[in-house]
Amino acid sequence: MNFLFAAYTAIWIVLSWYLFSLSRRQKRVENELTRMEAKIKESLK
Amino acid sequence: MRSLNWLLFPTLLLILISLYCIFIYAPTESSMGEVQRIFYFHVPSAWTGFLGIFLVFFCSILFLIKNDRAWDIRAAAAAEVGAIFTTMVLISGPLWAKPIWGIYWTWDAKLTSLFVLWLIYLGYLLLRRLLESPIQRARLSAVFGIIGAIDVPIVYMSNRWWRTQHPQPVMGGGESSGLEPSMLFTFLLSLTAFTFLFFLLWRMRCRIEESADRLEALHRELNTRLQEGK
Amino acid sequence: MKFLNQAGAILWKDLLNEYRTRDALTSMLLFGLLVILTFHFAFEPDSLETQKFAPGLLWTTFIFAGLLGLNRAFASERENEALQGLLLAPVNWGAIFLGKMLANLLFMLLAETAILGCFAIFFNLSLGAKIGWLLLIVPLGTLGFASVGTILAAISMNTRMSDVMLPLLLLPVALPAAIGSVEATAAAFSDPPGAALAFWLKFLVVFDVIFITVPLLLFDFVLEE
Repeated sequence: MNFLFAAYTAIWIVLSWYLFSLSRRQKRVENELTRMEAKIKESLK
Repeated sequence: MRSLNWLLFPTLLLILISLYCIFIYAPTESSMGEVQRIFYFHVPSAWTGFLGIFLVFFCSILFLIKNDRAWDIRAAAAAEVGAIFTTMVLISGPLWAKPIWGIYWTWDAKLTSLFVLWLIYLGYLLLRRLLESPIQRARLSAVFGIIGAIDVPIVYMSNRWWRTQHPQPVMGGGESSGLEPSMLFTFLLSLTAFTFLFFLLWRMRCRIEESADRLEALHRELNTRLQEGK
Repeated sequence: MKFLNQAGAILWKDLLNEYRTRDALTSMLLFGLLVILTFHFAFEPDSLETQKFAPGLLWTTFIFAGLLGLNRAFASERENEALQGLLLAPVNWGAIFLGKMLANLLFMLLAETAILGCFAIFFNLSLGAKIGWLLLIVPLGTLGFASVGTILAAISMNTRMSDVMLPLLLLPVALPAAIGSVEATAAAFSDPPGAALAFWLKFLVVFDVIFITVPLLLFDFVLEE
């Protein structure tokens, strides 16, 4: 049934978008963190 | 690099098994046909939507009592994840209703309170976005979270009683009452999968905030070091 | 007793303020009149339809006029940084909530009375026998609205989009009060009132109790810097 397919697709799109945005944010923050830690080590020298 | 969330594997497993059950194991419902399968993710999404606001309530109270940022993070994350699931309910609901009952929407107690729940989530998230001071953001959204969460069951009840005066078409009422064992199993399995998924996403969202906080702290530390160096 | 005295002082201050400027009341009343006008031309209801929609329309008008009043409730405090002064004074913050809530309640009731009068005139409603019930229903419904409205106004005044935030936060939360008020009014208008009236009145009382207690407990957190 088309509606079943549409609903199913819609839900998966919403979920995937959210998961994707979550992992993207996580990666970005972690990159910043490692950069920061390196900077601080530099400043200690 | 980062430790894998222990929830990830069980959740994936549950989702895969549920998908199999939803589409292959569960029999086709006699009156509604294939579209009925939406029920297996529509109702669990609603359940997790309500779970979310309950967690917002719980975490907001704990934050106000303990003044601990950790609880603020948990409340905000629960609101975000809960909002996502509630959105999914509001999308799947009309898509299920239209082919079966011919209408997209009916103002029955369940749907109306889900809609109001959605609005409360949005209000909470918008409020957080518009408040700049972190302390204020945490405190004020906690207060609203508590008020909103208390309101949700009241909205549901008031709608129930309203309907005794104004009978409206009922959508999907009493689904769980006439379920075959295999359908009941599939439903419960899907419910469990969604709950695990909620906690997984919740944990992930919390982790991002915690990392952002650490980043903020490092920024400040770097700044003080640079100042001292001058 | 001191608590009530403090609340009374704040109430008196707000009343004096409003008496001198009369902003809130005028705008609320004008708004009510505009709604009446718009409704007439939008729907051109006959007398039967008017009877049917009167409760809903009445309360919708009350709610939106009330929002106008609530928006102003903390705006004046913010403008002159008067709120800081208030917080520094040795006042119980719960008393601030009570005082402000009662002030809002009073303004809304005044505006609602005037709006109700205009309704009766413009739509030829015979209110005579029903006045008694209305005197009970309107304050009960407005009380719940004013109470939640006061704390949510205090919250939203901290955002830059405060006049958008307040309706967004308030309308979902106050929905049960709106339902109860409309249903009670509709029941009161019908002959005879029936069991529904008693039920919804009790519902409004419960709503009011819950949503005066909870904001009272939480108000301190809203005011803290």
